[in-house]
Amino acid sequence: MSGAAADPVVFVVDDDEAVRAAVAMLLRSVSLPVETFASAREFLEAWTPERAGCLVLDLRMPGLSGLELQERLAAQGNPLPIIFLTGHGDVPDAVAAMRAGAVDFLGKPFRDQDLLDRVQEALELDRARRAEIGLREELRRRLERLTPRESEVLDRVVEGQPNKQIALELGVSERTVEIHRARAMTKMEAASLAELVRLVLAARA
Amino acid sequence: MGSADRLEALARRAREAEARLDAVLKAAVDAIVMIDERGHVLLFGAAAERMFGWEAREVLGKNVSILMPEPFRSEHDGYLDHYLETGSPRIIGIGRQVVALRRDGTEFPVELSVGEIASFGEGRRFVGLVRDVTAKVRAETEAREHRERLAHVTRVSTLGEMAAGIAHEVNQPLTAIASYAQALARQMRAESGGDDTRRETVERIAEQALRAGEILRRLRGFSRRGEAKHVPCDVATVVQDALRLAEVDARRHGARIELRVEKRLPRVVGDTIQLQQVLLNLVRNALEAMDGIPPGDRCVLVAAARDGDRVVVSVMDRGAGVGERAEAQLFHPFFTTKPDGMGMGLSISHSIVMAHEGTLTYERNPEGGAIFRFTLPVETTRGKK
Repeated sequence: MSGAAADPVVFVVDDDEAVRAAVAMLLRSVSLPVETFASAREFLEAWTPERAGCLVLDLRMPGLSGLELQERLAAQGNPLPIIFLTGHGDVPDAVAAMRAGAVDFLGKPFRDQDLLDRVQEALELDRARRAEIGLREELRRRLERLTPRESEVLDRVVEGQPNKQIALELGVSERTVEIHRARAMTKMEAASLAELVRLVLAARA
Repeated sequence: MGSADRLEALARRAREAEARLDAVLKAAVDAIVMIDERGHVLLFGAAAERMFGWEAREVLGKNVSILMPEPFRSEHDGYLDHYLETGSPRIIGIGRQVVALRRDGTEFPVELSVGEIASFGEGRRFVGLVRDVTAKVRAETEAREHRERLAHVTRVSTLGEMAAGIAHEVNQPLTAIASYAQALARQMRAESGGDDTRRETVERIAEQALRAGEILRRLRGFSRRGEAKHVPCDVATVVQDALRLAEVDARRHGARIELRVEKRLPRVVGDTIQLQQVLLNLVRNALEAMDGIPPGDRCVLVAAARDGDRVVVSVMDRGAGVGERAEAQLFHPFFTTKPDGMGMGLSISHSIVMAHEGTLTYERNPEGGAIFRFTLPVETTRGKK
């Protein structure tokens, strides 16, 4: 995934043309970029995972339902945050949607501020997730720069082994261990032992 | 042959006739009562003794009206006189359902048929055959109550489903109105020096749209609050009861219904009346769908089987099937392919099955026609929740 994707977009999926247009107008009135889709399938064909943003999704649609789209995205490992819009009385569906990780669901018709607040929340969530994914990728790249010996030393440092024991296990001098460890810290761009451990754990998360 | 011999033969025949009569009286399930033209009991069979609680010797010679409750008791002599005078029968040769009275004062429904015995100079004789129809009447009453309950539930759920359908349909444009108005109000607020009156008007439009939405929400909540009674129930019984009602429709459509219920099906939790409503609705649809095919082929197959932690009930027909374009909208309220349909049946069925945490699906019958399937969770999986 490239971190340098375009600006986040609010993707609106609703089979009702008027609702779609009105919701888009509302979002655009606060300068949010919006793309609209008449069906879940249409969205799936157009959207690619590097496209940041969030989904405003009608729960009940002919063909692929909102819930099914949510399921499908999750199965593909694309946790695009979702705000569900529901007609009335879809309580069991709403519960299922929330269980599956939806940001929220709003009953139609809704107060503009409620939708805008949820959308901001969802965009923030997506940004944080993408940042986390970006950081993890960066740390992995740093880990890849280590030599095999440096990796061996680093593994043991992270496990909390003292230099002396590491030297013994690897059959090298304590001084050599110290050198490998220092190089590993430099390559991982860690300022302290505590930060080094944290970065390695984050990379492996 | 001498006259003494003839007499002997006649006597023997008379004894034989009497023995035959005696055997008939003892063996008959229906009560047999014979009276003279004044209504006096001349004969009271064994079944009559059991049915009325009187012994023959207590009744013989008494007026038969003691076997009837008022007002028939007082009027019976009049009936007899009327017949004797005019020759026009009220009951003779016709048979009808009347109310009878036991010795202990309890009344019970009987089918009574009366015949007249050819006269031998001793006045006229009448024989009544009395059949206790308590069980039959009770079964009829139960069946009628069951049909009425089902009809009531159908009416209530049709109303509820219509309200829900209208609420859903109206809610979409309402959402658009509210969103457009709120977006416009926002734009007006953003524009410096915007006209306050206009902006306020637009905000009021939005408020009223939201208020209408709130009314719909309450209406829908109200209409959905049915009186479903969810109890453990046996799917086989539900299916059989529903099909008993569907048999009438099947005959009218010249079709037959075939039933395949797996043995030892686990119980499900549900409202038996609602589940029967679903099944009846699916079967009626299936019957209607086959009107256009040769009568010999008109067969609805209803099957119930276990599939993991669910019970699957399917209704298969060999009819016209569902058009490709109709498939997506089958379960929508107001959607119908019938000229006089309301588009409520499948929508209600869908809602009912959903409320039972089940699914209702359609698929094409590979041999032509439609298959509707609904699943219900078996009792144990629900109990774990």
